[in-house]
Amino acid sequence: MDLNISPIIRFFLIEGVPFETIILILMLPIIATLIAFLRQVVGIKAFGIYTPLIITFAFLATNGLRYGVAIFLAVIFIGMLMRFILKPFRLLYLPRVAIMLTVVAVLILLLLVFGGNLRRTGLASVSIFPILIMITLVEKFVAVQIEKGNKTALILAFETLVISVAGFYIASWGALIKLLVAYPWVILFTIPFNVMIGRWTGLRVSEYIRFKDIIKKL
Amino acid sequence: MFEFFKNSQKLLGMNSRNLEFIRPYNRLRAKRLADDKLLSKRVLKKSGIAVPSLIAKIKTIEDLENFDWQSLPSSFALKPNRGFGGEGIIVVYGKKKGRDDAWVKADRSLITIEDLRSHIRNILDGSFSLSNTPDIAFFEERLQLLKLFKPYSYKGIPDIRVIVFNKVPVMAMLRLPTRESGGKANLQQGAVGVGIDMATGVTTTAIQGKNKFIEKIPGTNFPVSGIRIPYWKDILLLASKSQEISNLGFLGVDVAIDKNHGPVILELNARPGLSIQVANLAGLAERLRRVSGLKIKTIARGVRMGMDLFGGEIEEEVEEISGRKVIGTVEKIKLVGKDGKTIEVEAKIDTGADWSSIDDSLAKTLGFEKTIDEFEKLKMPYENLKKLDKKERWEIYKDIPDIVSTIPVKSSNGYTYRPMINIEFTMDTITIPTKITLVDRSHMKYPMIIGKINLNKFLIDVKK
Repeated sequence: MDLNISPIIRFFLIEGVPFETIILILMLPIIATLIAFLRQVVGIKAFGIYTPLIITFAFLATNGLRYGVAIFLAVIFIGMLMRFILKPFRLLYLPRVAIMLTVVAVLILLLLVFGGNLRRTGLASVSIFPILIMITLVEKFVAVQIEKGNKTALILAFETLVISVAGFYIASWGALIKLLVAYPWVILFTIPFNVMIGRWTGLRVSEYIRFKDIIKKL
Repeated sequence: MFEFFKNSQKLLGMNSRNLEFIRPYNRLRAKRLADDKLLSKRVLKKSGIAVPSLIAKIKTIEDLENFDWQSLPSSFALKPNRGFGGEGIIVVYGKKKGRDDAWVKADRSLITIEDLRSHIRNILDGSFSLSNTPDIAFFEERLQLLKLFKPYSYKGIPDIRVIVFNKVPVMAMLRLPTRESGGKANLQQGAVGVGIDMATGVTTTAIQGKNKFIEKIPGTNFPVSGIRIPYWKDILLLASKSQEISNLGFLGVDVAIDKNHGPVILELNARPGLSIQVANLAGLAERLRRVSGLKIKTIARGVRMGMDLFGGEIEEEVEEISGRKVIGTVEKIKLVGKDGKTIEVEAKIDTGADWSSIDDSLAKTLGFEKTIDEFEKLKMPYENLKKLDKKERWEIYKDIPDIVSTIPVKSSNGYTYRPMINIEFTMDTITIPTKITLVDRSHMKYPMIIGKINLNKFLIDVKK
């Protein structure tokens, strides 16, 4: 990283802020803007803005995308399975989520042991915080499952995964990292851009698809 | 492609709904009212609007422990106060015979006090409320299905969603519960949404779920179109009125029709869904734009405007196919008098009469005074005139001004001969030159009747 480094970044580095941290923080507004754009203009809902954002960073912090995706899918799978298992017990919401979290935690632990056993040390050495973040995904999933049903919850989970994977690639895109290091102020451009999409009243891409039959018949 | 984007302008999308309608027109306080079923029930009732009556409410676990289950009637609906999308509602149809701790649900399955208790505990805990906040459970009277809707709905009760904006009802949809939706009138769960012609309350096109167009009600052979919704105008008035009361500028009102009480307001919705556009094959954005900014003084006027602006498609269709105009049983008629002056009257459409006729006094104002006066002078008993042939009768009357023939007319005191004249009248934009009888209709409600001879360009809709 010899190239063009903005004086302010240089100052941060001298003060002892790790380079990785600076990049992650500068990436945050860009990923957030991407999620806002996908929601308002394209129509990909996902689980709000917080979940895909935090999952993106969890992916960035795991060693390689595939372990992140594997853990993500495992969590969703347990969420689905536990709904059927817990249904006859008719439990109140929080205890039910607590049971799910327990099961997910145990499963993730098994997954890590299994990975270690297969000499997939990458999986076992994933740091704890991204794993914890993804375990809490189950609550979001269950909440949507109760409110809108299984199908919607699955669709939203899938959308969250797509956004997070896209976010992962953008945040690890060399050219963008170089740009941010050289001109960290560009993140301020996300503000006028968000003002613009915040006032966007046109149909979303998803709505063009949803209404395509009736648009022809109008 | 250009056409595609031009048409898409007519549709209301989520962004526009939230930013241009909900945000500016639905204030937080008003939204709270809509989200709180008990509160909106109370407020609407206070203003004299019919709502399903409240049986009991359970606010806390303590209320639940002390609840007297025997105070419940044999049929009721149990609802969460802040529920949405029809979730968490239980409807029972009667007590299980020989037991006083169990009721029967729509699908004939049993539900015991213990089941109800655990369900209420879930409600109180917020399992069915927006963002899982603690909630209140309440019992209300069960509405009874209207006979007319019986063949169309699976188990539950259908309701009518009306979107009201600026006092004008702009679009409406009949929601029919199906097997897929488990007897709930909720599109997301697979209910059928049927578009409604705003002017007549007759159904048009339909969807099942969010996007699937259907021609027939699932599981039956009944077409979705052509169902005439009873109390149509009352429903629109009710919807418009509840908008005024609730102070929600952009509102979705759910109305159900009870067998005994007629239309009642089920709930108010501050964030109405967009599928109604698909069911109606029409765009909301276009309709909202037409109504936006208008100063509408009364509810009655708002409703009339909605009916006029956004209805009539079916009628036009019928008119197009048949080449005839659809009229009601009473129509406004313009008559042209002798001096060229036009007079507007209401006329009764009477398919039992061969000829059209007008009241003597109306004829006089139209300038046929002399005709009537001179005819009266030459009046002869019916029996005498009957014996004569047409030519001989004409000889007697032919000098009366404007007269073109005479005709026997039955009235309360037997038959009489009456004069006929030539005149021109206009009904529903069609001008008809015709022979018309002058009679005494002073004791009748309408000064004119239109008979068969003048009706060949019209179809009569008795409900119009």
